[in-house]
Amino acid sequence: LSRPEQSDPGLARDRTALAWTRSALNMAGSGALIARAGFAANLDVLGVVAALTMAAVAALTWRHGWTLYRGRARADAPPGQQTGALGLLTTATLAIAIVAIVFSTAV
Amino acid sequence: MRVMSEDPADTEPGPTWRRWLASLTGREGARERELDQTGTPPDPRFTLANERTFLAWNRTALALIAAGLAAAQFLKFNVRGLRLIIAIPLIVLGAVLALASYLHWEDTERAMRLRRPLRYSWMTRVLTGGIALIALVGAILAVVDRLAH
Repeated sequence: LSRPEQSDPGLARDRTALAWTRSALNMAGSGALIARAGFAANLDVLGVVAALTMAAVAALTWRHGWTLYRGRARADAPPGQQTGALGLLTTATLAIAIVAIVFSTAV
Repeated sequence: MRVMSEDPADTEPGPTWRRWLASLTGREGARERELDQTGTPPDPRFTLANERTFLAWNRTALALIAAGLAAAQFLKFNVRGLRLIIAIPLIVLGAVLALASYLHWEDTERAMRLRRPLRYSWMTRVLTGGIALIALVGAILAVVDRLAH
């Protein structure tokens, strides 16, 4: 967060990087919840695997956000569409929903 | 991540859901190039704002799923199965919004690249209606469960 406001009006780049960070934290927090739900449902292994996967997705999301932030510092380059990263995030969320339904019905 | 292929047949036309499916089956490179090659890049701030909006929707979806998980674990009804009437709709609502927000992000990005007007999404209505309905059902269930025992 080092660029002055003059070179990035509205600090769009900074706010986007912080949004990625929030998403990563959200994913990590939900991972802890998933693990707890897994134990409650006596599906320990599935719970731990899901939580570890989500921790990995959270770490990737965090890193990706700040990698983008640095890459987008070049004013001449368009920011580019994050089709792959956003698709991965969507796929992960759908997978979490499926695991959540399994745990909810098994509690 | 971009895989450049020279095969023009890689470009997947058709509805957004089909392109999304293509991304799941490893044809993501072609699809990304397609969005990249549509129209001209918009103001970078618009791309960033669209990205933040998607991320906010995705967090909302995750929060709904987490709420459903919590409902399944912590709600105590006398009839045990009743908690699923709250939990499952919350999780399904989260899943629907997660998918819809991706499709909406891509639709918006495409519209901006083609300098077309942005389309409104039904997601806000579904989110509001869904939460209101689940809350109402939860209140009714709580009363009925109490009266029946």
